[in-house]
Amino acid sequence: MADIDVVPTEFRNVEFTADQIRGVVARLLVEAGLVDHPGIGSVRIEVDESTPLSKVVTQSLEPLVICAQSGALEDRRRTRHFGGDEAADALGRAVFAAADRLDPTFDGPAFDADVGVAHAVAWDCHVVGRMARLGHRPQRQRRLYSFELRHGFSDATVAAFDRLWSAERLTWAEIVAISDDARSVVGAA
Amino acid sequence: MRKAFPPEDLARDSRFARVDRMDQIADPRAASGQGGGRPNQRLTPDRADSADAARSLMHGIFVGEIQALEGAGRTCWDFETGTDGAPFALKLDMARQCWDEARHCEISVKLSEHMGTEIGEFGESAFLYQAACNPDPVLRLTGVNRALEGLAIDVFNTMKEFGSISADPVLEFCEDWMLADEVTHVKMGSDWLRKLTEDDPERRANALEFQRVVDKLFSFGGFRGEDDESPVILARRFRELAGFGTDEIDEIAAISAEARDEAKAHRASLAAQG
Repeated sequence: MADIDVVPTEFRNVEFTADQIRGVVARLLVEAGLVDHPGIGSVRIEVDESTPLSKVVTQSLEPLVICAQSGALEDRRRTRHFGGDEAADALGRAVFAAADRLDPTFDGPAFDADVGVAHAVAWDCHVVGRMARLGHRPQRQRRLYSFELRHGFSDATVAAFDRLWSAERLTWAEIVAISDDARSVVGAA
Repeated sequence: MRKAFPPEDLARDSRFARVDRMDQIADPRAASGQGGGRPNQRLTPDRADSADAARSLMHGIFVGEIQALEGAGRTCWDFETGTDGAPFALKLDMARQCWDEARHCEISVKLSEHMGTEIGEFGESAFLYQAACNPDPVLRLTGVNRALEGLAIDVFNTMKEFGSISADPVLEFCEDWMLADEVTHVKMGSDWLRKLTEDDPERRANALEFQRVVDKLFSFGGFRGEDDESPVILARRFRELAGFGTDEIDEIAAISAEARDEAKAHRASLAAQG
């Protein structure tokens, strides 16, 4: 099992503990097949507790470094408290996307490439669909709404979303094609 | 039945979680500002977090509708018809508003389902209902129908525009229909304020001052305004339709800007304290 470092080790602005975050990430690494990945080495989760926003950025793949704003790990019902489902969702998307990138058959975009909101959301849907089948909170309609916002509201968009959601493993080219096809149907491209 | 029902006793099932507005204000992360320092908070589909931002706002609208229903319902009950300065026709308007707000609750639940939000997924603050607890019916109506329902006009118009630019007909039409009701509710407040204080300029002045206080509180340090920094835009045209004069709308814009500047100064002070 890779070492999981959480920074900071003690929180001042939020009621989180490093162990809570470490526990969530340990499970995700197993589920994403990264636990014994030779390139990962140690895993570092950096939490910015100065802001309630919820952006999560993967800063490096090898070693895996994920930076999360504290709002991403927060219980939406309790200000400043840790939310297990919210953290699994936010960090899970980053961990599973990292696993995709480290899989040569995925043939993902360059690490520093700007993939655009529509393609990023399509990738998210594919990731969260896989996580849902592993027992994480699915929130399928939430993901469908996010997908529709960037691909148009139509039956064709729902069908495209279902392909992303239910597929066990897609390549980056397949994700991009599904996204582009959906956008072209409603003239959103 | 009790009169002047306390906010902490509002009936909710186990799905709902109450949050204390003071906890949110005291959050040390507030030093990063409304929107965490993001320069442009306007809701647009190209914002990476727009789906979740819209879901959160929609849930806020939903619980706001519940509290608006509770507030209008209390106004029907808390005052004696005639003797407390609450004419029967005013109560009839409040009863009609209850009907509207109940329908808005149903619409908001459906919209939340459409956006993938569960009831109670976000915390509920009762501060909207708290503003509906003033013991003077004129002040209550001014605070609720002119200040809070006025804010609802701004919020619904913002959500309607978001539905329009994201080509989401469900959101756009639902918000438009609710917006029409809100204009009526604000107009009721404007009309009753003038009618009930026709011969009492001091009471009118007190009511308008109470409205200013509520307007400022609900500007949330820059939440509502007329520039790109504001997630919710002051809807001038709809406010005119609801009986606001240009000078009154200018005053709300000034109050919102003042609230934003005060919040910025507060954040700077918090940041300086480390």
